[in-house]
Amino acid sequence: MFLKQIDLTTALRPSYLPDEVLLFVQDNVGLYEGKYKLPNLQNGQVYLTSHRICYVDKQEPRKHSVALDLKDVERYEFYAGFLKSSAKVTLVPKPPKRGSLQSRAAAVSSSPSNSGTTSPLPSSDGPFRSPSTGASQATAATWVCTICSFPNPVPSNFDPTTANAHTPLPPCLACGIKPALTHVLKAAISNVTSRQMTATGSSFGTPLPLRPGLDSSRNAATELGDLVQTNSASTTPKPTTPDTGAGFQCPRCTFLNHPSLLSCEICGAPLISHDVPPLPVAHEQPRTDSPGPTLNFGKVTGLDNPDSVKISFRNGGEKIFYERLKGSMTQRKWLLQEAPPVPNSSSGTDDGTGSLSRSGSGPGRTRKTAGIAGLEQMGLERRKNNEFAIANSFEDLEALMASAKEIVALAESFARQGNGGADSATSEANALLAESASQLGLITTKDIVGGGSGSGSENLYLSELARNLAEFLTDDSRGVLKKAGGIISLVDLWAMFNRARGGVELVSPNDFEKAAQQWEKLKLPVRLRTFKSGVMVVQGSDRTDETTIKALLVWLRDLHDVPPEREVAWDWQEFGRGVTAQDAAEKFGWSIGVAEEELEMAEERGVLCREEGIEGLKFWENFIDTGERRRRRRRTPTQTDQIIKALNDSGLI
Amino acid sequence: MEPPTPPFDFPREYYFPAFFTRQVNLTSLRAQHEKWSSLILSYCAHHRLFKLSLSSPATEDLFHNRKLNKRLSTADAREVLDFMRKDGLVEDVGGGSSGGKSGEAGGDVVWVYWKTPEEWARALEEWVDETAQKGTVLTLYELTEGEGTRGTEFHGMDPEMMQKALQVLVNRGKAQIFGQEDQQGVKFF
Repeated sequence: MFLKQIDLTTALRPSYLPDEVLLFVQDNVGLYEGKYKLPNLQNGQVYLTSHRICYVDKQEPRKHSVALDLKDVERYEFYAGFLKSSAKVTLVPKPPKRGSLQSRAAAVSSSPSNSGTTSPLPSSDGPFRSPSTGASQATAATWVCTICSFPNPVPSNFDPTTANAHTPLPPCLACGIKPALTHVLKAAISNVTSRQMTATGSSFGTPLPLRPGLDSSRNAATELGDLVQTNSASTTPKPTTPDTGAGFQCPRCTFLNHPSLLSCEICGAPLISHDVPPLPVAHEQPRTDSPGPTLNFGKVTGLDNPDSVKISFRNGGEKIFYERLKGSMTQRKWLLQEAPPVPNSSSGTDDGTGSLSRSGSGPGRTRKTAGIAGLEQMGLERRKNNEFAIANSFEDLEALMASAKEIVALAESFARQGNGGADSATSEANALLAESASQLGLITTKDIVGGGSGSGSENLYLSELARNLAEFLTDDSRGVLKKAGGIISLVDLWAMFNRARGGVELVSPNDFEKAAQQWEKLKLPVRLRTFKSGVMVVQGSDRTDETTIKALLVWLRDLHDVPPEREVAWDWQEFGRGVTAQDAAEKFGWSIGVAEEELEMAEERGVLCREEGIEGLKFWENFIDTGERRRRRRRTPTQTDQIIKALNDSGLI
Repeated sequence: MEPPTPPFDFPREYYFPAFFTRQVNLTSLRAQHEKWSSLILSYCAHHRLFKLSLSSPATEDLFHNRKLNKRLSTADAREVLDFMRKDGLVEDVGGGSSGGKSGEAGGDVVWVYWKTPEEWARALEEWVDETAQKGTVLTLYELTEGEGTRGTEFHGMDPEMMQKALQVLVNRGKAQIFGQEDQQGVKFF
């Protein structure tokens, strides 16, 4: 399936995969399938991440939110818009269960807009994917030499899980240039993934330049036969002949290029633009006619293989989206996701697993258990190991990408060590913050948010920030709100949030406040509350004044049964005890300021009353105004009076 | 009524510490004022106090709860008196019978009308009726301290208060006051 239903976070944003990075957000977009508008997907925000493109509907986000994996995208195109037609980015999916080679070889056609064809669904050729393809791929992975484009076999003893910069690599068989480790690593991984893909029958394919050319071409002839059949009903002209079994004919000079090449070897003409999928989908459903016909699909998830999905940018932002999309398609972060962790892991505890420390310091290992010296030795080894990892990673950017995971882990451990000097109370908080910072990988920054101009993009930024904040607050693992007793002052939150961001992309207080004010509008599970003194606090939207008052009253009632620590002059069984803001703060885990405000709020509601004394301001259950004004002239309350009063009291709750 | 005054039975709120702090919430504040005002009235009625002075020792008990070590501050007490003045329950001493509408911050000595002059006048009238003294002339002293009024509510009444009550009757044409400053007499019709 190209478009998939996705899970949303509490803040109604897509929940991201572990390594996913948010790149761009744009609001007011609609989705098209082919020429036709998709119902219910016409006004929402599009999130471009390193792995996916997510659409979150504005009206019913939980129901109509879809995503498509970038790894399923074969091709993307940009349409700048014309008159009333908004700018669009077209995403063409990979034909399912088929190597990219075949589609390329088969159809060299002009544009994806030829959607109204009646070609059979590509899923029908499912059984065609023979196990032999997978088997042959499994045995021989190839890497394509960057210098001479010769496809070399990956050495059989090359294991991506253990390979590091020191693993010996054979040079290119044709030109003799040694390949980069990452290059071979990627080739090996893509081979593994495509093997897994075959095994599970899932539909994702490998990215373009890494496709195992030799093996695919071996099968190309037979697959092509199928493709010809597939496209026979299509109205698209097929200019290329299907006899290009082992190569791909350059449209300009007709040179038969190797299928792995992106541009013609002879004339340099780009070959990638001819990647046209076999125009698969037929829509039997009735459609409305002109300018923006809507597709009458009951369920979006039922869209198995649309020929193309268009994202219509009605509010601008398409250019940045396209640029970022291009970037992420080139980076192919999703490969990293499946990449094995770089060996020599620097995880502090399992020391000695790295081959370096083992080989480098033989004597160290023998006496590693010997007391302080052993510990020191261990530390030394670990540092060496780290040093090596860092030096290694920064060798070049490619290598850094390959060892990204390790570097992140290192950075985190450094951050933890950095907190060691502080005293215990703050170190705990710092640890929390450091952790938060790493968890807060997906932060909204001004530059990932697009928008037409001026206020539009500002609004989008704020609403994204608001969602971001709501996520930060409601994240159970962090428990920001819970630790603060369910309520936290905006200033505290601002400080915490900015600290969690680790000092980059800080949010200005102004933006922060504006974002917080959007919570209600966005129907997020947190709300901003302003006390009458002007203090702004953040609390869960389920926490209302009533619940707070109830909690306060229950507490005060309990005090009727608890004897005070010292002798008191009043009848504590009747009146309970006055509480200070300090008491309330301790009891509910609030900050003092919040406790003061909450108590005053309850006082304002007439539930509490105040007592000012030398001990400070105390709050009592309101025994002054007990709703007995009707009987105020009676000086001595009778028995029944007291009962009525008691009933009244309880009725007040 | 009872010459050896028994201790006043303070209401429940009197033992509530927060009762002695001016409430900020307006609803609570109003309830507080009402409770204080009823407390003051019943306290004065109990002790047969016709004048209330914020600084006199007689009211010390009223505004100061020794047990709680709590005291209604003078400012707050004045506010309570202001509140009562609006209800016509107290009147400034020396402010004249026109009532304390002058708006000035109330004096520290006030008449407490746990019975209003009208009520006193009615009581007097009834007593005159019952004892068949219409047409007779009685001195003020006789009315407040005389043997004949022993056992009535207005026995031992403050002379000035009695004057006010009689003034009500005079205005209604039910009585006539004559005589000198000290030797005033009153004739009921």
